[in-house]
Amino acid sequence: MDQKLKETILNPILKGNPITVLILGICSSLAVTVQLKGAIVMAISVTLVTGLSSLVVSLLRNTIPMRVRIIVQLVVVALMVILVDQILKAGEGTYAIDKQLSVYIGLIITNCIVMGRIEAFALGNKPIPSLLDGLANGVGYGLILVIVAFFRELFGSGTLFGIQILPAGYIPNNLVILPPFALILLGCIIWAHRAYDKDLQEK
Amino acid sequence: MNTNSNAYTVIYTTLVVVVVAAVLAFTAMKLKPSQDANAKAETLRQMMSAAQIKPTDELYATRNTGILQLYADNIDHAYTIALDGSQNGSLSTDKASIELVDNLKPQNKAIKDGGAVTLPVYVFKSGVSVIPVYGAGLWGPIWGYIAFQPDGKTIAGAYFDHESETPGLGAKIKDEAWFREGFIGKQVAFGTEEPFVLAKNATKGGAENAVDAITGATMTSKGLGEALNVWFKAYEKHFSTFKAEED
Repeated sequence: MDQKLKETILNPILKGNPITVLILGICSSLAVTVQLKGAIVMAISVTLVTGLSSLVVSLLRNTIPMRVRIIVQLVVVALMVILVDQILKAGEGTYAIDKQLSVYIGLIITNCIVMGRIEAFALGNKPIPSLLDGLANGVGYGLILVIVAFFRELFGSGTLFGIQILPAGYIPNNLVILPPFALILLGCIIWAHRAYDKDLQEK
Repeated sequence: MNTNSNAYTVIYTTLVVVVVAAVLAFTAMKLKPSQDANAKAETLRQMMSAAQIKPTDELYATRNTGILQLYADNIDHAYTIALDGSQNGSLSTDKASIELVDNLKPQNKAIKDGGAVTLPVYVFKSGVSVIPVYGAGLWGPIWGYIAFQPDGKTIAGAYFDHESETPGLGAKIKDEAWFREGFIGKQVAFGTEEPFVLAKNATKGGAENAVDAITGATMTSKGLGEALNVWFKAYEKHFSTFKAEED
């Protein structure tokens, strides 16, 4: 059991990473990775939403009528997303970040990772493993987000967390700021991940 | 129990929706005051940035309570005007009656349709009058605040914001200090067809009423230029009274 739990937590971060292996949640990873700060807030938001939605659905799993299970899951996910959005808007420090992320917080509901984990894991497992599975998937997603945002902010604006890092003479690369570059970067990360972990390569 | 019967399904989904609605209503009610406080402080930061009360970075580093205090210390009076330039109302300067960005949208529509408007003017103790501008960018609304010197035509400062312009391109209207600083000292040519020009090479001939557009952000620049002209024209008659007083 202990081994299984460890697997539940580590698999989504490494071998079963939602972005680099399952290729889920690509859309938002292109949109919110211009700056590190936004990426981190997004990562935390998604982690909370996946974790808590999985927990709630797992608690309800034996009562949900199978015919309408997707609708019930969607309602639960929507609830969590709206709660996160409302809380971000209410916090003094997070208000500006919520404004910057604008629609993307609301769009967490369409992030395939959330519904994917509920369907694949939470519906058939006990609450605690489901919570951990949700959180771990959020962390796996967030990790990639932060890596992409690190490079995009550094080379796109010459800053990290808004603080100037590269010398003042550096001319920010406009391509890095645009979403297509995030896709290229993501491709490179997937390449590196596969080169490192030979198990991921198709025969 | 049969969880697949029709009655069970209907009752179950109804219950879920009612519970979720209750939770959301409760949270929205609880968080509304702090959300409103944040939105108001944000508006005040933008207005005071335009009025050059303090550097923008400093305003954004100040907490909400500090911002309210700073506003109370610096605001003189505020009123609203109609399109003919006459005052048609006074605004209380306490924090309760701050014109939020949401309120600018109907005003913008009314200006264009020639309807009745109540356009706000905020007069600070330093003598500058701050007015809002509002329009459409590339992806969503853009807005800003322009501070005028007591002569009613020289720009004392400006601040712009947007909902969803492209980061690194259109978003520069907010992010780049040099863009808003470019407006300082410019003179709006009230009474002409195009009171203010925001275009490529617009400042080349030494024009007093022009600022260069942002490279790579053609549509945002165009939208902002249009917003400026629509709103400047709406305030035209009002600011013409400023000159009369001076003569």
